[in-house]
This record gives sequence, structure tokens and C-alpha cells, in this order.
Amino acid sequence: MSSLDELMNLEGAAAAFAYSSTGELTDHRVADGSDLGPDTLDLLAHMFVANIAIATMQARGWEKTTGQSGFYPVRGFTLVGLEWSAVGNASQGVVLRNSTADYEAAYAALGG
Amino acid sequence: MSVYADLAAMPGVIAAGEYAYRGDRYNYKGQLSDEMARMASIMCRATTMGTHMQAEILCANSENCPFDPAHGWAVRGPQFTVCVVANVFCFMHNEAGVLNRIMKHMQAKLADVKEMI
Amino acid sequence: MIKRLLALDGVFTVCHFRDDGALVEGYGMLDEDMMVRLAKFAHDYKRMVQGNTDQFSMFTQLPGWAPPGGWMVRGVKATVCSVGNLVCFVDNETAALNEVMRELTDASHY
Repeated sequence: MSSLDELMNLEGAAAAFAYSSTGELTDHRVADGSDLGPDTLDLLAHMFVANIAIATMQARGWEKTTGQSGFYPVRGFTLVGLEWSAVGNASQGVVLRNSTADYEAAYAALGG
Repeated sequence: MSVYADLAAMPGVIAAGEYAYRGDRYNYKGQLSDEMARMASIMCRATTMGTHMQAEILCANSENCPFDPAHGWAVRGPQFTVCVVANVFCFMHNEAGVLNRIMKHMQAKLADVKEMI
Repeated sequence: MIKRLLALDGVFTVCHFRDDGALVEGYGMLDEDMMVRLAKFAHDYKRMVQGNTDQFSMFTQLPGWAPPGGWMVRGVKATVCSVGNLVCFVDNETAALNEVMRELTDASHY
């Protein structure tokens, strides 16, 4: 896991944020010129927590039903918008510009 | 060639497919059984629906939110990643360069899709 | 007909929504804009619950869960509950949830 300042060093990062296990925003950084605010980041954090929970249910079911492992434990979730993506795990997230997004570097920085 | 068939031929991809937004129809190529592809379609459709609803709520309740409409999502496990843009899904290995290449390809090929759910 | 649900204790609002999420009719203390939002939320939530229930049935092979009959989301002070294409917004302190769900189930068959 990286610090928020390290996440902000990812190319095209507009915001980096940390949250509790239930999704409440605990800390954040926003790049100069970005319109993202704490309200948006708090909701994004809740979205990460919710989707990781759903994906975990799916990974458990998939692995039991098919015998194919490799999805559990779920390490992260990404929301892809038209111009921006939000990449997160259970405690931290980062918003990246799609045109330059390095998703693998983001997951590596998040520890997954 | 369809986007999912393109994807299935790319290095690191286990399988790719597309599902109907409504109903149970799906197509796929790659190393999945028919039953696994059916299950994958059901799971991806459900997550896409949830993601779209959440993105709408997110942006209806916060200012300057750049995520509505959601175009896609990805879930990363220890060995595999699943990625969905519009109604196309792709299962891939977590090998260096694969996720970035697939994301770029899917976003480029599916950016102009109007119907997302 | 759904208006009679308002006669139950603690029911603030009841709405009927279409399969595309549009509000058909709504009664109670919320204004029109809020009812439109409640209808849209209930429709989206219904589809999400359907999706998750389908997966639950698929993974467990247990009969009797899909399609889901309804859902509830309980907050500290209020609960949103839905059956079919009807949704109710109720007060936790004064509403009898079992009765509300029973009436919603009846009304959803009209």
C-alpha cells in the first residue's frame, strides 16, 4: 500500500483518497485544477466497498462452482467513465485520466 | 470481426464475450466452458447494472462528477482480472501489460456505444 | 387503489413505477420530484436485487429465491420497502413492517 502522495504521482492522477472499511472518506488529495471534491470521493469510496463485496460474493461462487481459483480474495475494483477511471481497493482509491491511465501501476501501488 | 473475438485473440486473454442487455443470450470465445460463459454473462450483466445505478446516484449527489454514465468496470483478483466495457466482457491473466492493453482496446472500440445497460 | 396503503401507520409515501422506472402514480408526503426519484431508485434497486438473486440461485442451486418478491433497505429512522412495482417509504418507529409488506404484496397483484 502506498501513501496518498505516492498515488498522486501516478500519471494523470486527479485525486487520491483513503477510506474506512465501510467507505467513509478519511483523507484525500486533489490535483490542482481538478473539480473533484470530498463529497464525490466519499461516494466513490462507498462504491468501491460495495463492489468489492459484490465481487467477493461472485468470486466465492465462481470458484466453488467452476473449481477455477484466482479471483479470490478480490484485490480491487475499477470504475471506467468516459474520460476518467477510478481504481480502488478496500481502503484507498485513485482517479486517473483514461488517455494516460496505467491501471497495472495503479493496482501495484494499491498493493494488488 | 466483433470486439470480443478481437479480444479473445490478444495475448494474456483467457476468454472474451458479449451478453444481451436483456434476456439470456451471450456469445464468447476462449477457454471457458459454455456453462462458465453463461455464468460469466449473468455475473457481468448484474455488476454492470449495479455500477450504472451507483454512478448515477454518485453523480446526482455530488458536483463535477465525471463518472455518469459509467462505461465499464474491472475487478482484480490475485491471478485474473475481469474487465467489462458496455456489454463486452474479458477474462485475462494478471501478466505485465495485459490489463493496460485490453483496457485501451476496449475503451477505443466501445467508446461510442450509446446503450450501456 | 395503492392510496389505501397510506392508511397504515407510519407509511409516508407509496409509489407505483413502470418497468422503465417512470413514476405511474404516487401518494403521500413527498413532492412530485422526490416521488420520481424514489420510483427511479426503486426500479434500479429492483433490477440490482434481481441480478444478485439470480447469482445466488445460480451458485447455490437453491430453489425458491429467484425471482425475488421484494426488498427492504432499513435506515436508522426510515425504511424503503418494495414488492413488484410498488415502493413504500415508512417510519421505523410507527410502522408495522409485516403489515406494510403484506399490504404491498396484496396491492402488487391488482
